[in-house]
Amino acid sequence: MKKTLSSAIAIAIATSFGSQAIAVEHNAVAEQSRTDLINYFQNKHPNRPFADYINGIYGYDEDRRMQWQAEEEFPQYEEFVERGEELFNRDLNAYMGCMVGSDRGVAHIRPSYPYFNEQTQQVVTLEGDINRCRTEAGLKPFAWKRGDIAHVGAFLGYEARGQKINVVIDSPGAAAAFAAGEREFAEPRGQLGLACASCHVYNASRQARSDILSPVLGHVSHFPVWRGKWARASGDGLGTLHRRYEGCHKNMRHTAYEVQGEEYRNLEFWHAYISNGLEINAPSYRQ
Amino acid sequence: MSQSRLKSVLGTLAVSAMLATPMAVTAGEISEEEMQQRIAQGKELAWNRAQGNCLACHMMPEGTSPGNIGPALIAMQLRYPDRQKLFDKLWGVEETEVKYSMMPLFGRHGILSDEEINLIVDYLYTL
Ligand code: HEC
Ligand code: HEC
Repeated sequence: MKKTLSSAIAIAIATSFGSQAIAVEHNAVAEQSRTDLINYFQNKHPNRPFADYINGIYGYDEDRRMQWQAEEEFPQYEEFVERGEELFNRDLNAYMGCMVGSDRGVAHIRPSYPYFNEQTQQVVTLEGDINRCRTEAGLKPFAWKRGDIAHVGAFLGYEARGQKINVVIDSPGAAAAFAAGEREFAEPRGQLGLACASCHVYNASRQARSDILSPVLGHVSHFPVWRGKWARASGDGLGTLHRRYEGCHKNMRHTAYEVQGEEYRNLEFWHAYISNGLEINAPSYRQ
Repeated sequence: MSQSRLKSVLGTLAVSAMLATPMAVTAGEISEEEMQQRIAQGKELAWNRAQGNCLACHMMPEGTSPGNIGPALIAMQLRYPDRQKLFDKLWGVEETEVKYSMMPLFGRHGILSDEEINLIVDYLYTL
């Protein structure tokens, strides 16, 4: 099966190629990575429909899928979607007209992120702009990772359900951010010598202890997520994508990067782009 | 690395002596009791999530909820009659490395000390 992966991932692992991946046609390399990954997973699991990749591990195990579907009927995150709506409406003027897509309605905010800002030459995330808009309106920014920011994110995701992920790469800067994100994903990091791809590409569907390893395709579609594990640890169980990055980096015994720092924003940009065409189904329940 | 090999060879001598005469250990080698202690320590290192965490990826006899990323660790003595080869695999010498494998290079990356790897090998030899 590994032989079928001719993708940029394999090349990046083998030769640390990523930095040259700034194409003349800006999104050609990114598009190649995305279609290679889709082909790889189609070969690996011929019976799994592309649209199902938003459901992570639940496309790999029927028992867990049934438990999860039962959870999603009266989900633990519901009250946080409502709380997010209240928070959003309380400071409505800060967000409307400031967040990208807000001119077309609340439902269009989440699908407009992440995007590459040509002026700053930086990737902008949903959370990053929530706090930028708050600060510009003279409000206190939220803490990253959990709490208010995750509640607002859950509300914006919920409003956008059913729309498709559509990250745009149309400049050299955006292509470079994508390539940097791909390197972060494909190259080994940390003491255990693992790459994100080790678990979420090559060993997706296998088990690490009792955890099934999810496929990278669709990863970003359902964040923020509510996790039993997070609820037991601290806070209310809801967490952002970067909180998850931090967790996986710790498991790899790699010092986590700063949440919402450049490394994680580039990683998110890559991560979201390769899920283009999949539906947003945030928030969601995870183990 | 030459040092790590040396230590492993010393371990090998003690163990092969043990295997040849499991009940009667001659002076200068380790006692049955000591060997049982080493095996218990090796098992603890292998199972502990913060150390070997082998169960994350390998089925091992008696281990609950193992992963299935690597092959089952069974019949180790039969499959690795040369103890050094097993030590080398855990230590992560280049010749034993499998491309794109998730198997950590425990010695080379400083995850476990040579002595800890030796203890784990003592335990693996009972599987
Ligand atoms: C040692 C294995 C391993 C490595 C390496 C690893 N992860 Fe994970 N990851 C897991 C496990 C186990 C889970 C929980 C089960 C699942 O959903 O895959 C998880 C979950 C996730 C999720 C949530 C998936 C969902 O549907 O909710 C994301 C996103 C993620 N990982 C991203 C990453 C990124 C990015 C990296 C590299 C920085 C990485 N992982 C490295 C094991 C790993
Ligand atoms: C993150 C996953 C992972 C962890 C943790 C891990 N292994 Fe492995 N191991 C593998 C994989 C994958 C292979 C097969 C490819 C290879 O040989 O590298 C393997 C191969 C092996 C082999 C050679 C194959 C065989 O059965 O003869 C041995 C021996 C071994 N592992 C022992 C261990 C021991 C002992 C530990 C804990 C101290 C451990 N492994 C921890 C993934 C892992």
